[in-house]
Amino acid sequence: MRVEIRPNAGMVALAAVGALLAVAQASRAQPAQAPDVPVRGVVEDVEDVYVPVPAGQPSPQAKAYSPYAGRKYPTRVLWGDTHLHSANSGDAFTTGNRFTPEQTYRIARGEEVISATGLPARLSRPLDFVVLSDHAEGLGLITEVYNGNPALMGDSTLQRWSRMIKAGGAEASSAVTELIGAQATNTLPSVLTDPKVAGPLMMSVWQRAAAMADQYNEPGKFTTIIGFEWTPTPGGDNLHRNVLLRDGQARASQVFPFSSWNSEDPEKLWAWMEAYELRTGGRALAIPHNGNLSNGRMYAAQAFDGTTITKEYAERRQRWEPVQEIVQMKGASESHPKLSPSDEFLEYGIAGWELGNLTLGGKLTPEMMPTSFVRAGFMRGLEHEAKLGVNPFKSGIIGSSDAHNALPFVEEDNFFGKFPGQEPRADRWKDRSSTGEGEGGAARYTWQYLAAGYAAVWATENTREAVFDAMTRRETYGTSGTRMTVRFFGGYDYVPEDAESRYLAEVGYTKGVPMGGDLKPAAPGKTPLFLVAAMKDPTGANLDRIQVIKGWLDASGTAQEKVYEVVWAGDRKPGKDGKLPPVGDTVDIARATFTNTIGAAELSTVWKDPDFQRGQRAFYYARVIEIPTPRWTAYDQVRFGVKMSDDVPMKQQERAWTSPIWYTP
Amino acid sequence: MIRSLLREPLLHFLLVGAALFLLYDVSNGGRTDAPREIVISEARIEALAENFATVWMRPPTTVELKGLVEDYVAEEVYYREAVAMGLDQDDTVIRRRLRQKMEFLSESVADSVQPDDAQLQSYLEQNAGEFAQPAELTFRQVYLSAERRGGTVRADAEKLLAELQADRVSADPAEVGDPTLLPATMEGASPQAIANAFGQEFAQQVDEAPVGQWSGPIESGFGLHLVRVDERVITEAPTLGEIRPIVLREWQAEQRHTQNQSFRAALRDKYEVRVEGPAAELYAAPTGGSAAQ
Repeated sequence: MRVEIRPNAGMVALAAVGALLAVAQASRAQPAQAPDVPVRGVVEDVEDVYVPVPAGQPSPQAKAYSPYAGRKYPTRVLWGDTHLHSANSGDAFTTGNRFTPEQTYRIARGEEVISATGLPARLSRPLDFVVLSDHAEGLGLITEVYNGNPALMGDSTLQRWSRMIKAGGAEASSAVTELIGAQATNTLPSVLTDPKVAGPLMMSVWQRAAAMADQYNEPGKFTTIIGFEWTPTPGGDNLHRNVLLRDGQARASQVFPFSSWNSEDPEKLWAWMEAYELRTGGRALAIPHNGNLSNGRMYAAQAFDGTTITKEYAERRQRWEPVQEIVQMKGASESHPKLSPSDEFLEYGIAGWELGNLTLGGKLTPEMMPTSFVRAGFMRGLEHEAKLGVNPFKSGIIGSSDAHNALPFVEEDNFFGKFPGQEPRADRWKDRSSTGEGEGGAARYTWQYLAAGYAAVWATENTREAVFDAMTRRETYGTSGTRMTVRFFGGYDYVPEDAESRYLAEVGYTKGVPMGGDLKPAAPGKTPLFLVAAMKDPTGANLDRIQVIKGWLDASGTAQEKVYEVVWAGDRKPGKDGKLPPVGDTVDIARATFTNTIGAAELSTVWKDPDFQRGQRAFYYARVIEIPTPRWTAYDQVRFGVKMSDDVPMKQQERAWTSPIWYTP
Repeated sequence: MIRSLLREPLLHFLLVGAALFLLYDVSNGGRTDAPREIVISEARIEALAENFATVWMRPPTTVELKGLVEDYVAEEVYYREAVAMGLDQDDTVIRRRLRQKMEFLSESVADSVQPDDAQLQSYLEQNAGEFAQPAELTFRQVYLSAERRGGTVRADAEKLLAELQADRVSADPAEVGDPTLLPATMEGASPQAIANAFGQEFAQQVDEAPVGQWSGPIESGFGLHLVRVDERVITEAPTLGEIRPIVLREWQAEQRHTQNQSFRAALRDKYEVRVEGPAAELYAAPTGGSAAQ
């Protein structure tokens, strides 16, 4: 086909205008900041603004009619995603994501869009808050490569990638493979990492995104938190962190995100965050994720440079990383069946992800497991604390999606995959997503991806400041995508009737501390009690049980773990081994349905630790398990009329994990 | 001719262009380079020096500045010679970049137009539904758990409802019904907030419930609820003053979209496209010249 074009004089004038505007735009962009701002020392912890104990005294009846008068504690849990990518992330763009930050915010607010693969897509319910966490590495640069920005096209590799990405399809994906490989092996075209060339381009992308975040931030209704993802993958091991700022564009624009091209060392990231706070008066926190793909490096006893971690390291890590992501589309990081053999609920989110690190460049060996998973990390934290006096891994829990197609859809009946290539389609389940180098051809498949997760935050109001502060005090939990409500308190004065209280939260805060908090040392003869309550997702499945998972340091200084069944639906009796019979199963795989004829809409209890030792440091977190429900693969089978292979799970038990409460003698 | 030009949708692009061109010309000292002449204006030198300074955090030395100017001259020479040789033709990268500049242009124009309050006011009125504040409900609810009460839950609910209506029991939801994590009261809650807590169907039924009296039972995913709506506030449409940044944001988003579309369509209208070969049928009789999306 041939298109005849007859240009006219008007075009010339327009082109001139375009050129001028582009020049004007480029000159408006400010230069990138020097990446390693000098650090003057460790900042003191700022005081916590939140007062958990309400001003009144604990007589609920006394203020029967206006229960919220005087309430200072959070009354409504907020739902969000702290891990979401727009087209400004190189790997998102190259795989087909063309959603701008603005469009991504609109999606999170619940607006309908047409997905990268042409499907109408909409969240089942709007989110309360969202963090656009585009990769700092080459922020927005691939868009510029694609568009053939002359500043970059001097490089022949970039020119070739530009052509391949434009060609789309298989060519585009090999460009992505090359790109990821080049980043992992430090062989990216130098112009991309040259601050002189790339700096101003990335800075203007960052500033535009921050301005957009401010435009969509509506206190009380919808919160946008400015942030980015720091993405170091040394040797294929995942050490990624999402960095969140408490502040608006005015402060965020004064800095440029710290990338793994500056350094792959988390301590250098913390130094950057500290410099950000000193320079702008703002606040920052970091959220590590996917310890399951770190091959033992996420909770290692060594710092990045190989030296044994020190008290100073522990203080800094605890301060800068108050929460961590326990689940996302790339698997669950709670623990591994081999690490916690007596725990029956660890199959979820393990298949495929357990094979090795992020790139499948190295196998996950049993020796690596004790420093790869969240629960084990809590246990290592107790061990370090006994030696150093500070617990480096005292971190709360959230979940998030890590969606790279701008669609944070983590409900099983509305799963759009992590990348555009994984969006709904009859045969998506059997695609290979990554293959290891050698090692007998270890591979991961699309069916192993999880429709998960969300971050639940007990914030006093829906604002940037309140959401950020709730994370700072670890008053958060993570879910596999369900929106169940979970309360978890620890103290010494709870009584069994408190679990039946109509003012459970008020009682919880008044007599103890919420999730993420610290128990005071026990007085002689006292034992910690835990008030725990959960309510199902209003549109979701009933609850099977609540468990409390305890880790402690025994007399010999070795960390131990145990799962306790604390309250459950129906009249089941635990066996001699303490195990509770299954709740039942109403899943009809052929129709992808379940019924709430088993389980309970709400569960609550006051639980007393039967094995408490006053002198032993410990942590306790709650895990709430839903009744079995169909997995996204089952919905795919029904909707596309396909039959997947027998190793593909068709159902699962969704869950929530709370931040721990720590006991320190 | 002039009349048709006034109707020309590209007119304001051209006007903006002319203004910018004039600005550029003035800043260049009103000079235009002759074909074989390269003029390095003071403004150009300042720009080169400034660029250097932003990278190196210091002004260039005289030697460095000389180098910068020489490099700029080389670039200009190459540029002119390359264009003269037609090297800019049929180069995907250059074509793509020029297209991007055109798209920037239309977006920049959209962004540069600052609407006045009258425009925003009329946009607000035209899209009143979109900007309307949701109704705010204040209600109490008494919860009856089907799990706790089994088969008698509905009868219990009817009985309790009668008592509440007759004022025979405490009207304090904290005193009756079954314990729950669900809020006993919500104050000034939007339908969305109610749906988030209780589910969509419950929210809809509460929205329709009578004000000032106990009614129900309403069923939710949790069980049965007796509700008493104390207040239903239909908020007056917000004024521009109250939500100006949001109206502006939505106005600009729409402007960007429509400007892009109309700019593209207007440009497209200037061309007659003739498709040859077997694909001709697929592309037959385009209407209004709007390009395939």
